[in-house]
Amino acid sequence: MRINREAFLFAIVLVVTTIAGTQAGKTPAGQTLNPAPLSAPAEALLKDSAGWDQVPDHRISLNRTPPLYDTDEPASLEIPVLDVRLARAGGKLLVQMSWADPTHDSASLPEVPNTPPETRFRKLPTEADDRFFDAAAVMFPAKPGAMTPSLQMGDTDDPVQIYYWNAARGPMLMEAAGRGTTRRTGATFAVHGAYDKGRWTVALELPDLPASTPLAFAIWNGSQKDRDGRKYFSVWQVLK
Amino acid sequence: MYWNNVETRPGMGYPRQWDSIGGGWKDGQLQPSPLPSMDDYGHAWEFDYEQRLYEGKKKPVMASPTPKSGVNWDEDVGGMNGDENYFFYLPRICNHCTYPACLEACPRKAIYKREEDGIVVLDQDRCQGYRYCIKACPYKKIYYNEVTGKSEKCIFCYPRLEKGEVNACAAQCPGRLRFVGLLDDPESPVHKLVLVHRAALPLFPEKGTQPNVFYVPPFNPPKRGNYDKSILEDSRLPLDYLIYLFGPEVRDVITRLEAELKMAQAGGRSELLQLLIGRDAKTRYRIKPELVQIKV
Repeated sequence: MRINREAFLFAIVLVVTTIAGTQAGKTPAGQTLNPAPLSAPAEALLKDSAGWDQVPDHRISLNRTPPLYDTDEPASLEIPVLDVRLARAGGKLLVQMSWADPTHDSASLPEVPNTPPETRFRKLPTEADDRFFDAAAVMFPAKPGAMTPSLQMGDTDDPVQIYYWNAARGPMLMEAAGRGTTRRTGATFAVHGAYDKGRWTVALELPDLPASTPLAFAIWNGSQKDRDGRKYFSVWQVLK
Repeated sequence: MYWNNVETRPGMGYPRQWDSIGGGWKDGQLQPSPLPSMDDYGHAWEFDYEQRLYEGKKKPVMASPTPKSGVNWDEDVGGMNGDENYFFYLPRICNHCTYPACLEACPRKAIYKREEDGIVVLDQDRCQGYRYCIKACPYKKIYYNEVTGKSEKCIFCYPRLEKGEVNACAAQCPGRLRFVGLLDDPESPVHKLVLVHRAALPLFPEKGTQPNVFYVPPFNPPKRGNYDKSILEDSRLPLDYLIYLFGPEVRDVITRLEAELKMAQAGGRSELLQLLIGRDAKTRYRIKPELVQIKV
């Protein structure tokens, strides 16, 4: 039987074009983010959203990750727009992320006992086991001067640092060098998250990153079982 | 959340309806499944002892909040086969499958199957609590601990095995019904029961994970008044239900068990029945750390 090679090749080219087209259509170009110098102490600014009123707002379009696993339920909620404000205060870079989320997925969890698991005779009862919490994160290259590592958690040559905040579990500093390598460092950072009238406003304290540092943002909606790479994410934005 | 539970069959199981909600493999693909909810596991409850004992409440001690489900919730409820009732117990631990769906589903690579003995373990440092493993496991034998934010599972007591001691669940079983050993060790009771006598079968073999826990099907007495008939002719436990649990091969296993019993009743000696009586630890277990070449 003669295989129609031309048609076969054409089919391949067509598929590639389609993927490229989808990517180009959905991925907005990064913006230049302009941090405002503020005189108030960083600690106060994290908690006081009024202190940010004069800081310019950057509207950042988000993308939804494609379904990662065949067994995943499709994501159905509307893709939110992320408002980001940046400020330099007290030798820190402060990032305020704000987005609409009609479902408030948070909880007050009992503290994990600070003893090895094998010495705990009785476990604390778990209140729920099938819920996920809202979360937000800022990612930037771990090496100063690195341009834009892979958006999928960096790569071997260009590792990333991730300042991750979870509405129930709080802040966790993570590092990664490629997809699947994300690791909690055990370190934490200052953060303040508030939910009001269907909107999250989360302020994170980052180190005083130099100009030209690329930043990427992500948010998770617990109500649609977001966790892992199942999230909304931005492309790299550049700090002015 | 119990790594090791015993459920009454027929019954809902633990978590509720775990056998029908999904997971496992089909045509080489993981199958979807919802996460069981806390209602399916049953919430923890307390009793109002203080009110009853010290505060003058005259009513009997009550559980609060009112329990609606729990481990072995339908204890001894059983089912009816015509006008005769029946039930049996099904002990369940992680099956330490040959093709673990949980391992495949974990994007963190937190789950691995130990090369030396096939035990499937979950690295608590790598686990981020995403729960893809729970969805993927068709036996729902991984549990999420919301307090720690990590998933947990049976570790087959590997620290005990490495010291040459049998698993705690086997050591403490008063029914002497757990046999432990390597499937490919010709001297092990597991090898004899599964491969030589072919008297033990995996649970739900069609889920595609190839479990390494095998069950000798419940011995199935005849109905009242049928003592001279074959078990398969008029069994007290509906054969269809056993086929549902262990697959069609259960029919052959029951036939073999019945033949061995008849032989023993006629004064013969059945090696299989002697093994199943499991008089001592030496008969029931063969734990040889040197056989599994543990890498230190």
